[in-house]
Amino acid sequence: MINAKKIECLIGILIFPLLLLSQNCSLSLKGTVLDTGTKIPLPFSTIYLKGENLGTSADDQGHFEIENLCAGEYHIEVSHIGCEAEEIFLKLSADTIVNILLHHHDELLDEVLVHGTQEDNSAQMSNTISTEEINQKSNQNIADILEGIAGVSTLKNGSGISKPVIHGLYGNRVAVLNNGVIQSGQQWGNDHAPEIDPFVADHISVVKGAAALAYGGNALGSVVLVESDNIKEDPHLHGKANYIFESNGLGHTANLKLSKFDKWAAWQIGGTFKRKGDNHTPNYFLTNTGKSEANASVQLEKKISKSWESQLYYSLFQTEIGVLRGSHIANLTDLQSALSQSVPFFTKDTFSYEIGAPRQEVKHHLLKWENQFFLNEATVLKFKYAGQINDRKEYDVRRGGRTDTPSLSLDQTTHFGELILNKTFSNQLFLKTGLQYTFVDNDNVFGTGTFPLIPDYRKFQPSAFAILQKEKGNLFLEIGARYDLKHLRVAWFTQGANSELMRTNHTFNNYSVSGGLRYRINPNLKVRFNIGHMLRSPEINELYSAGLHQGISAIEQGNPALKSERSVKLIGNIDWFAADKLFVQVLGYFQNINDYIYLKPADEFRLTIRGSFPVFNYEQTDTRIYGTDILLSFEPQEHLKLTSKYAIVRANDLTADLALINIPADNWTNTLSYSLRDHTKFKNSFFAVNGKYVFRNNRLEPGQDFIPTPEAYFLLGLSMGTQLQMDENKLKLSLSVENALNATYRDYLNRLRYFADDPGRSINVRLAYEF
Amino acid sequence: MKIFQIILLSLIALLLVSCDDDDPTNPTPEELITTLTYTLSPTQGGSDVLLTFVDLDGDGGNDPVISGGTLSANSTYNGSIELLNESLDPAEDITQEVEEESLEHQFFFSTSGTNLTVAYDDEDGDGNPLGLRTVIETGDTSSGTLTVILRHEPAKDAEGVSTGLIGNAGGETDIEVSFEITVQ
Repeated sequence: MINAKKIECLIGILIFPLLLLSQNCSLSLKGTVLDTGTKIPLPFSTIYLKGENLGTSADDQGHFEIENLCAGEYHIEVSHIGCEAEEIFLKLSADTIVNILLHHHDELLDEVLVHGTQEDNSAQMSNTISTEEINQKSNQNIADILEGIAGVSTLKNGSGISKPVIHGLYGNRVAVLNNGVIQSGQQWGNDHAPEIDPFVADHISVVKGAAALAYGGNALGSVVLVESDNIKEDPHLHGKANYIFESNGLGHTANLKLSKFDKWAAWQIGGTFKRKGDNHTPNYFLTNTGKSEANASVQLEKKISKSWESQLYYSLFQTEIGVLRGSHIANLTDLQSALSQSVPFFTKDTFSYEIGAPRQEVKHHLLKWENQFFLNEATVLKFKYAGQINDRKEYDVRRGGRTDTPSLSLDQTTHFGELILNKTFSNQLFLKTGLQYTFVDNDNVFGTGTFPLIPDYRKFQPSAFAILQKEKGNLFLEIGARYDLKHLRVAWFTQGANSELMRTNHTFNNYSVSGGLRYRINPNLKVRFNIGHMLRSPEINELYSAGLHQGISAIEQGNPALKSERSVKLIGNIDWFAADKLFVQVLGYFQNINDYIYLKPADEFRLTIRGSFPVFNYEQTDTRIYGTDILLSFEPQEHLKLTSKYAIVRANDLTADLALINIPADNWTNTLSYSLRDHTKFKNSFFAVNGKYVFRNNRLEPGQDFIPTPEAYFLLGLSMGTQLQMDENKLKLSLSVENALNATYRDYLNRLRYFADDPGRSINVRLAYEF
Repeated sequence: MKIFQIILLSLIALLLVSCDDDDPTNPTPEELITTLTYTLSPTQGGSDVLLTFVDLDGDGGNDPVISGGTLSANSTYNGSIELLNESLDPAEDITQEVEEESLEHQFFFSTSGTNLTVAYDDEDGDGNPLGLRTVIETGDTSSGTLTVILRHEPAKDAEGVSTGLIGNAGGETDIEVSFEITVQ
């Protein structure tokens, strides 16, 4: 997506109160502002004491000093050109030195900064999206926001439904963690998006790893982390109100977040409302592509004793999404006739907010209770329980007044318990080990009047893992192993007349091992290397799909005899700084997956009363996936910044010697931004131009898809914004234009490419108020 | 410590969740059409010709049984279509469902190699054709297929659709069946 990248700088603060006796109103606050990545001082940063109308600028070495301060509470705002201002709350009772780590190179946000604590330090590579960028794009889906990271694409079913594709893998092969809990929903369908409101997150990261040892799930490498920060230790009520308008689809998104560090507990509440109507391509409306969403979250934190911290978190996500009416087809003849249309069937001449069939209704509840026990200085014990309820209903255009009866209705309940021990040994050795237990109960809700595509099942999964890390000078080493016992109990019906209930059990032993290192050759050059071996057992749809997959006009047949996939993945990464003006990150990966599970077209057509349908069976083959993500940022001078991202993925079925389907086309994104010098009233003003070029995926053979892959396309985006300082509060204004040239295009990873163009130009306005 | 007891108890509670679900109820596919009978009655008298498609177990399972028919050359037949869901007991009459939703349905007919024409002999509430009742005129001797298509929610106003051309109709196919026909 083409929002210009507004830079936010994360802040890390180290506070060293000096225990000096002092009188009121003669205290001093001193400090240095540094860039986290390079530790290079950030000269001429602004330090402002809000409410005091008092401020100063750092010198050319990043040093600053404010004298004659009274003891008391201060909200300190630190800003540097091109960085989002951040706020620190400080209780001043003595002369204090503050070292402020501003993050000037947001591309570089790595695991150290994001997590701040050693336990999450890792040799794995990760890229992060900042709070400000999430808020700016909170009108979009979480997967669309992730597209800002090099190497991440999205698999879509129109603009309402999207899921991330990372290093050529998606769906069950990528784990999404919502506040430390594996998102449990119907992740098997390509038309099922992760049920998360991006606004709940303070950061969203993609760990481009070789193995997801601590997280489990079924990921064959990469993991998406959606994380909230701990609530700031600030006894005053703070909040953020955010409103976004989109001209394409006349979309409105409003959200509000309030937080306070009260004596009884620290709390934070948030809510989001979205309403959007039919999108518009440059030439016609995309009828029935509206969306409505209402989400809420509550977070409570309490230090119960010196050695016990507890957190309670709840979130509710609920959405109703329309799917393009013209994309609903019954058989191959219908598809052929839809393909020959220049404007999709059922296209209306007028805009509407109405959402009719085909549509999806999804509700997702997450409740988490997390506890940390500090047993001694070097040992932390953690206990976590998380429960999730996922309720998904999909409505089709049906005969005999059944359109209001869901044709797919699934209820899933997940319970997850985890016990983790973190221990730091004296010789820079760190151990993280844990036991986990996952229980999933997936039920079809009776009354759909359709044969269930997915049977009822229960999953029981005990797991254990251990990760050992060692830091020695510039070298950081990590090894780990994980074991999951996965037991599935499936209750399925035979197809055809006299359908009978069958019960089948499956047990899979999955293990993974991984090793990695990080080496800082010099302060400007860092290399990382990671290797992992991992097993992924087949999911329910791969084992038991039975029948017509809605809207894909293909019959999918599961295969209960499938074995686990075995993957070996290697990743290498270089981070290079050249004289503070140029930063280059090059990441390369190579993954072999044996017994890769995929849908293979069978040689038969099944004759039904609705005509004949192609049959696809789940089969296994050996595949190889490799590629590279390149990130470059160049600052020729203080105000100007160019960011460039390039991603290539190649994936092949080694047995059939064919390219895999649903692999992103090569893409190249460039952003040029110009930051204005801060004015007393206007701060962080910027202009940005963004260009994304997506190449054509020309690696598929003619018979591999119904139509040739779409042509290459270019999207231009423009944005500008500023921040108005009003005493202690901030008002942020921004204006952005997506697809500014109103280009007509279709994207290969969007299922709607068979039927319609992608949306045209959209002008977005954002207002945000922070207090 | 009390908290550890709570943790252990919660873990045990999780492990003790009963192993199997209650038996799920066998879902009966409701929208299934198992049987199509196209009855062709010669206007000059004689016995009816029945074209049938029967797939009692629905999608999958046993293959459907399709029987075509033989028509007399240069003759006129009155055609009528009956649709049933015989997987239910008693069988459900789908013809009635289509009649009730006549505005949202339309049959289309096409031939390949067969020398005959199909004309609509009924209307929906808006005066557009439906196709449950038709008139068939055969020409000289020939043999080939007659394909019967039922579309749900076609664009009945689109160009050519009311004359039986399917090209601009859109919608979803509920039925698409080809019968072997000999005209002699």
